[in-house]
Amino acid sequence: MLLNNHYDLAVIGAGPAGMAAAIEASRNNMKVLVLDDQPAAGGQVYRQIDRNYHKNEELFFLGEDYWLGKKLVDDFKHSSAEFFPESRVWQITLDKHVFFSRKGRAYQVQANFILISTGATERPMPIPGWTLPGVMSVGGAQTLLKSNNSGADGAVFAGSGPLFYLTIWQYLNAGFKVGAVIDTAPGRLSWSHYLWALPALLQLNLLLKGLRWKSHIRKNTKYFSEVRSVSISGQSAAKSVSFIDKYGEKKKLNTSHVFLHQGVVPNVNLTMATGLKHYWCPRQLCWHPETNIYGESSLEGIFVAGDGSGIAGASAAILAGKTAAKQIVQYSRKPSIFITWLSKLKRYKHVAARPFLDNLFRPPKEWRVPLEDETIVCRCEALKKTDISSAISLGVTGPNQLKSFCRAGMGRCQGRMCGLTIQQMIADNNNLPEKDIGYFRLRPPIRPLTLGELASLADDNVLAK
Amino acid sequence: MTMSSQSNKVVVIGGGIQGCATAFFLAKRGQNVTLIEKDRIGRHASGVNAGGVRRLGRDILEIPLSLAAMDIWQNLYQEIGEYAEDFHPCFYLKVAVDEAGRELGLMRAANLREAGFKHEVWVEDDVIQTRLPHLSTPTHGGLIVEGDGWATPWRIVQGFANAAKKNGAKIIEGCYVNSLTQSQGLWQIQTPKGLYEAETVVNCAGAWAADIARSADDYIFPLESFAPMLVVTDRRPKILPAVMGVLSHTLSLKQLETGQFVIGGGVRAKANHSINQSDVNLPKLSSSIRLAAKLFPEIANAHVIRCWSGIEGYMPDELPIIGRGRQNGLFHGFGFSAHGFQLGPGVGEALADLVMGQQPRISLEAFRPDRFVN
Repeated sequence: MLLNNHYDLAVIGAGPAGMAAAIEASRNNMKVLVLDDQPAAGGQVYRQIDRNYHKNEELFFLGEDYWLGKKLVDDFKHSSAEFFPESRVWQITLDKHVFFSRKGRAYQVQANFILISTGATERPMPIPGWTLPGVMSVGGAQTLLKSNNSGADGAVFAGSGPLFYLTIWQYLNAGFKVGAVIDTAPGRLSWSHYLWALPALLQLNLLLKGLRWKSHIRKNTKYFSEVRSVSISGQSAAKSVSFIDKYGEKKKLNTSHVFLHQGVVPNVNLTMATGLKHYWCPRQLCWHPETNIYGESSLEGIFVAGDGSGIAGASAAILAGKTAAKQIVQYSRKPSIFITWLSKLKRYKHVAARPFLDNLFRPPKEWRVPLEDETIVCRCEALKKTDISSAISLGVTGPNQLKSFCRAGMGRCQGRMCGLTIQQMIADNNNLPEKDIGYFRLRPPIRPLTLGELASLADDNVLAK
Repeated sequence: MTMSSQSNKVVVIGGGIQGCATAFFLAKRGQNVTLIEKDRIGRHASGVNAGGVRRLGRDILEIPLSLAAMDIWQNLYQEIGEYAEDFHPCFYLKVAVDEAGRELGLMRAANLREAGFKHEVWVEDDVIQTRLPHLSTPTHGGLIVEGDGWATPWRIVQGFANAAKKNGAKIIEGCYVNSLTQSQGLWQIQTPKGLYEAETVVNCAGAWAADIARSADDYIFPLESFAPMLVVTDRRPKILPAVMGVLSHTLSLKQLETGQFVIGGGVRAKANHSINQSDVNLPKLSSSIRLAAKLFPEIANAHVIRCWSGIEGYMPDELPIIGRGRQNGLFHGFGFSAHGFQLGPGVGEALADLVMGQQPRISLEAFRPDRFVN
């Protein structure tokens, strides 16, 4: 198989935004390349939809929103875009070269435009015992459900957020027994919650769906709300979960599987490593790449669409991908103010409920920074909260400086698991807002890359089978 | 701090290894010295380099300085205390992988012998194979220096900074020099943190040093900024007890105590020192890595964990600038062109000698600041 050296558009990530952009751009006769880590198109939300479709009777439990993705994936497959799954993009240079590995070899292509649609990633929930075997993220549990129809009976779910409820609902529908649901969302709503609820009514369907999931979960599981101080214990693997319920009572549940979740944040590793400007979003408590309504970033010709530019969900991502591609197709023409406002208006229908949801599920600090000194924060370097706070107290002003004091964030994950926690810890210690603390300076490779792959980087671009 | 001026005997500009070592030796000899650093100690090339502590492969003009520096490295504990534990002496080996490399190496060995240097010698393949049992290919011989090694660079720089402080030096970080001018025989150093006055200024500002010199109306230095790159891998079984290079190729390779490989060797990416920006361009390293994987095939399985670079100042002849400037009371120590880390302690000592009007124990003739003046 031969890979071309040059494309009009290279799309990184074949989720809803990436697929929609590829369909739109190839409809307009652009030569499009799409690269994705996974073995099939769909992203996290429509994972393995193509393979699962023929057994949709058996997998009905994934819900109607999941099956909606089938048409998008079909359109994508029938488009003229070239798609290379199992391709890990590890560097984009400013001259728009894209470097990636596939099956043990590295390749490079150049493109006139690049669309980064690498989606979201789960916010880690560093509580005591979160690194024990048997503990994983709710997103991970959902992945197993979608890709293998596998799950664990008796698992305890702890956390909150839309994906939290959706996954438990799917778990129940799939026939797995849920051990308990420990809901960490704070119970009391403030006036701002109610204020944001008004525009959210524009997405009433979404809200009703959420309420349906939640009431189904309350009816069919052992459900604890407004929970505090969750910890997992066990010697070599998870054995039990302890917490304090809303009446202040200590509870302990035996389980060997715990699934944690505190919402999702944009996966900014590629956009940051490529050098795009980012800003701190206080409402979503994470970094967003700076883009205009068309998704164009601070670097000319590089676009970002979908949850990777701010959490907004699949339908907003599809629209964003399409909007970005339209703008790329007629790049030399500046859109009129009217078109810009129209685009904003169109998008609003898909994001009206977002501020409400963000406020409702905004994780309190307890779930972002561990309360206990002994809890691991940086998993790669096995650094506890106390190791990091004592390094910070030596006068550290930012995450990059912290690296040379205690190696936090210097392991394999490049700070994916500890970055936001460390940023918050430094902000607290120095009494400054998070946005002033900054983030780890991310550098390529942003995906796993072996030296053998790097050494194989050649210019013949013949793809290995 | 208020905007009132501060009087100092000596101000050192730049908190890299050169500046920190200079401030340390001055303070140790009782001088009133203040070091000002625009970012933080060891933030740029000094803190993020490969940490090679080598006499091997030095330009013959640089060897006396390198040997003088090594004397200090070998007794580092006396100077900077526990930080010295981050220096790991072993041996440094530069192998020939082809006939061209062998010829080059043999010629160098002969030149060194003739000049009377005994630290760096030629060894044949049988010796190399015994010293590096995991090497997968025969070599065409190589050059070796016993006792060279590597250090954790930011720890060493921090060590000199702390030792300087202990001896009474003041260190001010986050302090950018806006201008350096002379008035009534005193240097006026304008910074956002106020005005500093000094009888003597030592310019160890690395990639930023030519800007400092320009502000002081000193020589115009043809200094260029680049970002030499490095990669570090995940932890692997220990197979490499030395720091390694390859003759006539750009490769430097070592394995840390953790088992992680660090690969570099002077492959440069772009840097823009005026906005503190350095690029990394991993693909540029691919030929160095191909070579490393030929020597040790296991390396191909290692995962790259990080690639990084630091901003470094390069001179056209790749030799540093060390010595008295055109202006009275201004000294320079910069332009190390990505091989200044090992020299640092020697440079600090020599600059301290110069500032105090003493004769350094080695000649600095080759590093004269005026050598680019037509």
